[in-house]
Amino acid sequence: MRGDATRPNTPRGPALWSSVEELSGDPAFEAWVNAEYPAAATLGPTARRTFLKLMGASFALAGLTGCEKSPFVAALPYVEQPQGSTAGVPKYYATAVTLEGYAQPVIATVYSGRPTKLDGNPDHPMVQGRSDVFMQAAVLGLYDPDRAQAPTHRGEPVTWNDVQHQVELLRARWSQSEGEGLAMLLGHSTSPTLTRQIAALVTEFPKARIYEHAAIGDGRRPDLTTAAYGQPVQLHASFEDCDVVVSLDDDFLGVGPQQVANARAWSAARHRSADKPGLALYVAEAVPSATGAMAEARVAVDASRVWLMARGLAHACGVAGAEAADVSPAEQRWLERAADACRSARGRALVTSSHFGSDATASWVARTNALLGANALIGAAKPAPGAANAGALSELARDIGSGAVDTLVIIEANPAYTAPGELGFKDLLQKVRSSLHLGTHRDETGDLCEWQLPLTHALESWSDARSVDGTATIVQPTIAPFYDVRTVHQVMALLLGQLDPTPETLVRDTWRATLGDDFETKWTSCLRDGHVPEQKSPAPSIEAAATAVAPPFPDDGLDIVFRPDPTVWDGSFANNGWLQELPKPLTTLTWSNVVSISPALAKLKRLANGDHVKVTIRDRSITGPAWILPGQAANTVALSLGYGRSKAGRVGDGLGYNAYDVRPVDQPWQTRGSLHKLGTSETLAVTQLHHRMEGFDFVREVTAAEIGHQKAEAPQPSLYPAKPSAPNAWGMVIDLDSCIGCNACVAACTAENNVPVVGSAEVKVGREMHWLRIARYYTGEVEEPRSFFQPVPCMHCEQAPCEMGCPVHATTHSPEGVNQMVYNRCIGTRTCSSYCPYKVRRFNFFDYRLASDAPEHAAHNPDVTVRSRGVMEKCTYCTQRIEAAHVAADKENRPLRDGEIVTACQSACPTRAIVFGDINDPASDVSRLRRDGRHYVLLEEQGTRPRTTYLARWKSAEGQG
Amino acid sequence: MRSGDRMTQIFTPAADTWLRLFMVGGLALSSGGLVGLIGFAHSAYETSTDVRPHQPVPFSHKHHAGELGIDCRYCHTGAETSPQAGLPPTATCMTCHSQIWTNATMLAPIRKSLADDKPIIWTRVAKLPDYVFFRHDIHIAKGVGCETCHGRIDAMPLTYRAKAFTMEFCLDCHRDPVPHLRPKDHIADMTWQAGTDASASGEKITAHEGIRFGQLTHCYVCHR
Repeated sequence: MRGDATRPNTPRGPALWSSVEELSGDPAFEAWVNAEYPAAATLGPTARRTFLKLMGASFALAGLTGCEKSPFVAALPYVEQPQGSTAGVPKYYATAVTLEGYAQPVIATVYSGRPTKLDGNPDHPMVQGRSDVFMQAAVLGLYDPDRAQAPTHRGEPVTWNDVQHQVELLRARWSQSEGEGLAMLLGHSTSPTLTRQIAALVTEFPKARIYEHAAIGDGRRPDLTTAAYGQPVQLHASFEDCDVVVSLDDDFLGVGPQQVANARAWSAARHRSADKPGLALYVAEAVPSATGAMAEARVAVDASRVWLMARGLAHACGVAGAEAADVSPAEQRWLERAADACRSARGRALVTSSHFGSDATASWVARTNALLGANALIGAAKPAPGAANAGALSELARDIGSGAVDTLVIIEANPAYTAPGELGFKDLLQKVRSSLHLGTHRDETGDLCEWQLPLTHALESWSDARSVDGTATIVQPTIAPFYDVRTVHQVMALLLGQLDPTPETLVRDTWRATLGDDFETKWTSCLRDGHVPEQKSPAPSIEAAATAVAPPFPDDGLDIVFRPDPTVWDGSFANNGWLQELPKPLTTLTWSNVVSISPALAKLKRLANGDHVKVTIRDRSITGPAWILPGQAANTVALSLGYGRSKAGRVGDGLGYNAYDVRPVDQPWQTRGSLHKLGTSETLAVTQLHHRMEGFDFVREVTAAEIGHQKAEAPQPSLYPAKPSAPNAWGMVIDLDSCIGCNACVAACTAENNVPVVGSAEVKVGREMHWLRIARYYTGEVEEPRSFFQPVPCMHCEQAPCEMGCPVHATTHSPEGVNQMVYNRCIGTRTCSSYCPYKVRRFNFFDYRLASDAPEHAAHNPDVTVRSRGVMEKCTYCTQRIEAAHVAADKENRPLRDGEIVTACQSACPTRAIVFGDINDPASDVSRLRRDGRHYVLLEEQGTRPRTTYLARWKSAEGQG
Repeated sequence: MRSGDRMTQIFTPAADTWLRLFMVGGLALSSGGLVGLIGFAHSAYETSTDVRPHQPVPFSHKHHAGELGIDCRYCHTGAETSPQAGLPPTATCMTCHSQIWTNATMLAPIRKSLADDKPIIWTRVAKLPDYVFFRHDIHIAKGVGCETCHGRIDAMPLTYRAKAFTMEFCLDCHRDPVPHLRPKDHIADMTWQAGTDASASGEKITAHEGIRFGQLTHCYVCHR
C-alpha cells in the first residue's frame, strides 16, 4: 500500500488508506479485512471429508442442470397491435421525473409498454444525456408495491366516486365562506399546470390560504440572495467559463437537482486541455463532500466560521470594508492561495457559497464576486413563479393551533414526517376537521389524514415541470396507471369542480397560450424533444447589497448541520431498494444514516465508528451511530435527513434516526447543540472495506510538468500465449480526475443489468452485488486528507486469472476480449473470485430474486438474465448492448462505428469519466485516452493486462493543499 | 504348528471372477447409462419435438402457409426487424375472417377476442430457454431460412416443434454456417433445397453477408 519511488515512468500513487481503523493498525481489524468476504473470517474450518463430499455431489449434480425440459408456456399477442410498435423492440419516450419538484429530463426505455430504464435526455440543454442516482432509480419507484393503490377514508378503501361526493360537499361549504378555513399545503413544485390550478382555486375561493413546505427545497437560497442582492433570485453558475472556483461550503458537485448540470460544466472546464488541468477548485467546508474531494486545496472550517472565511477572502481580494479574519495558519494558507488564484484569473474566477449557509457568507461572497468581475458567471435568473404569497409551515402550524384551519389539503408533501419535531405537526393534524392528502404513498401524513388520495408516479402522469435552469419539460406517461390512481392535476381539477377532464387536456390547457399558433405541431415536437422552447425572461441585474451581520449563534456547543441524504434525499426515496443499497459517497454507508463527527471530536469523546451518541439541540435529542469522517471540521457534527421513517413501506421503514425530530424551525440547516456518548454501539453496513485489493498505487496522481516525460512501458512478459483478437477489441478508460464519486454509474448498472438488492444484513457481511464499486481512498492526515474516488468494474483482463481458476470453464474469454461469465455452467466454487486480484466478482449466496408476483419484475431488463442462487456474476461490459450494436451493424453489412456502443455506466456518468470503445481502432476515443500521459494500469505488476484502465488524477504543481 | 495359526483363506476361488465381472459390469452399466442419458436428452420426449399442444383454435399452418401460400411474414411481422418474429394480433386473423368463415364455430375464440378486446391465449410451440437470447432479425438478414429451424411448417396441420432446440443444434450452424445459408429471396421458402454443392452457394452468400466467422460461438453471442 505504499508508493514505490523507484517506478519513474508511470504516474505515481501516494500512500493510500481507506478507513480510520486502518490507520490505528489493530491486528484483529487486519484479520477481518483480509478475509475476502469479511464474515468468512468468523466461519469455522470445513473438514476435508465434508469438503470432498460436497464437492463430489456438486460436480455430479452440475451436469443435471442441462436436463431441464423446456415448458410449453402461453403466448399472448395483441388484439390490435399499436401503430409503430414491434414486439421485442423497445420504444423511447422523452419525459421527466422530478427531484424536489425540479424536472430531471429523461429518455425512458419502454419494452412492451413497461418502462425499464431511464437515462438523461441527450437533447435537453441542461442534462445533455447525463444522469444522477435519483434519475436512474426513479423507475423502481414506479413499481413500488407499497404505493397507495386506491383512495382511502380513515384507512378504509373507497372509490373515486366517494371522493367526488366529499369534494362536492366541501366545495359547497367553501362557496358560502369564499374558502374561509381552507388551507392548502404544497410541497416544492415547479409545475406550471399546478401553479395555474392553484391560482384558479385562489381566484374562486379568495379566502383560501396557501402554504409551502419542502424539507429541503432550495434551502435558504431566497433568503440568502435577498441578503446578498436585495431580491430573491435563482443562481445557476456557468462553471464552463471559469478558471478558478472558490467554494465556501458549497457542495455544488454533490447530490441535488443541480448536480448533473454542475458536474457536466465543471468537468468540461476541468478538461479543457489534455495536457494540463483546467479549472482549479478551492474549497473551504465543514463536512467533506464530493466538491471538497475534487479540490486543488481544501480546508476544513467549522460551519459557524465559514462566514469568517468569506470575509477573509473578501479582505484578501481587496473588498472595501472587509476586515482580516482571525484564522488558523492552515486557513490562512488556504485563503492566500485562493485569493491569489482569484486575483490572477479576474473575470474567470468565481466564488460560490452554500444555499444552506448564512446571510453573512452569501453577502461577502456577493461583494467579492462583484469585485472580481464574476457577476456574468453567476447566471442569476428570476425564480420560477410559484404560488404567490405562500406561507411557511410554521405559519400553518400557528393557524391550525388558533383554529383558523377547517380543511387542510396537503399536496405532495409529508409534513407529519418532515416537519421539525418542535412543531408537533402530527398532533396539529388531528385538530383539523377535514384533511386530504394527495401523494403517491399512504405515508406518515397520508396515514393521519382523513382522506388519502393516491397520485400517479411521474412515469404514469401527464404533467409538466422545470429543471433547475428553468427549462420546462412536458411530462408524458410511459405506461397507463396500473393502480386506481390519478394525476395531481386531475385531483386539483376535481377540487376546482371540473368533471373528469382527461389528464392530457389539463396540461395542454396550460401550454396553449405559451406555444401560440400551430399548437398541435409544437406540442408534438415538445413531447418528442423533451423540452419546451420558451423565451427566457431577461436575467435580473444583480448588485451586491450592503453587508449583513454574522448569524447570532450562542457561543457554547458544537456546530450541528443538517444535510440531505446522498441516496434517499429528504426521505422520499426511502422505499427504493436500489438507492438504499447504494454506498453513499465518502462514507460508503448503505441502508442507514450516521451522525458524522470529526476525528478530533472522536478523540475527545473517545468515540469509535458505530458508537451510539445522543445529539441534543435545545430540549430535543436523537440517538444515532457516530461515524468519524476524515476531514470534517473539528467542532462540526453533521446529521443527515431522510431516515427514521415509519410509513415509507417495507423497504424504508425503521432505518436510521430521524433528524427532523431535532431540527429547529428557525435554524433548519445550521444550529448549535451538544453530543454525548452512550455506552452502546452497532455495526454499520459500510462497503469500503469489502473487496479489497492487494498491491500499491491503486490511485495515481501526475503533475502537468511530469506529463510527456514518461516512457511507455512495455507490458510485462507473460507465460500464457497471447489470444488472437477479433476485429474489435473492447476496452474502457476511466478518468479519475473526472470522477466525483456520485454513484450514477452504479445505479445505472443496477438498472441495466438486473443487479439484485440484498439488504443491510447481507451488505454487512460483504455480499453486496454491485458489479461496479466506487472505491474511496484517502491520503495524508486524518484531519485534512485528500480523497480519491475510483470506480472499479471488471477489468476484462487479457490474461485473466479467474479464467485459469474455474474448474468447470464457466468463465471464458471472447475473441473481442470480454471476460464472459456463463451462469449455467457455474457451480459456485468461488475460485474465480479468490483468483481475481481486483475483487470484482460477486456471488449469489442466496436466491436474491424477487417473489414471483412482485411488481418490480417489470423493471427488469428483458435482455439480461436474472441470476439465481449459487452462481457468480460480474460486469459484462454491457454485453447486451455490444451484441445489439453488432446486430444493427451486421444487418447493414458495415463495421461498428466508434461511440456506437455506450455502456450503462458510461452513459450515466455526469462528467464523462468513463469511455468505452474499440482499442484496435487507433482513432477511437478509448485508444486516444490509452495514449494519454495520465494513462495507467491498475495492479500492472500482476501482468493481467486489463482492458479497463485509468487516467491519473491531476496534481497541482504547488503540492497538496 | 497349530491349525489356528494358518492364514485363513479370505477370498474364495471365485472371487477373482466376481471382481472382474463386477468391474466389467459396472463399466458397462455406467457407460450404458451415460449413453442412455445422452439419448434421453436428445429424445423427442425430452426435447418435446413430437408434441402438438392444445390451442384455443386448431390453427393449421398447412392450410394457411401451404395450401393458400400466405407468406410467413404476413403474420409474423417482426421476423425481419425485431428479435421476436411475433404472433399475429387478432386483427390480422380478422383481415380475412371478417369476410370468410365468419360464422365458423372453430373461429369463435377469435371473434370473442376481438369483441372483448382480450388477447387469444395461444400455447407457444417454438421456445428457447430464458437464458438464450435468440434474435430472428439477424438470422433472416444473414440468410438463415424459416425452414432451417422451424421445419416444414407448411406441412403441419397442427404445429409442433420440428427441430430439437438443443445447444448442439444452434452450435452446428454457428460453427459452420456455410451449408445452411440460402439466398435472400428464398428465406421464407419452405421447399428450397441447397443444390448439389451447398458449400459453394453458401460460400457466396457468406462472402456477401460478411459473416463474422469464429466470433459466433462465444458465449455472449447468445447468453448474457
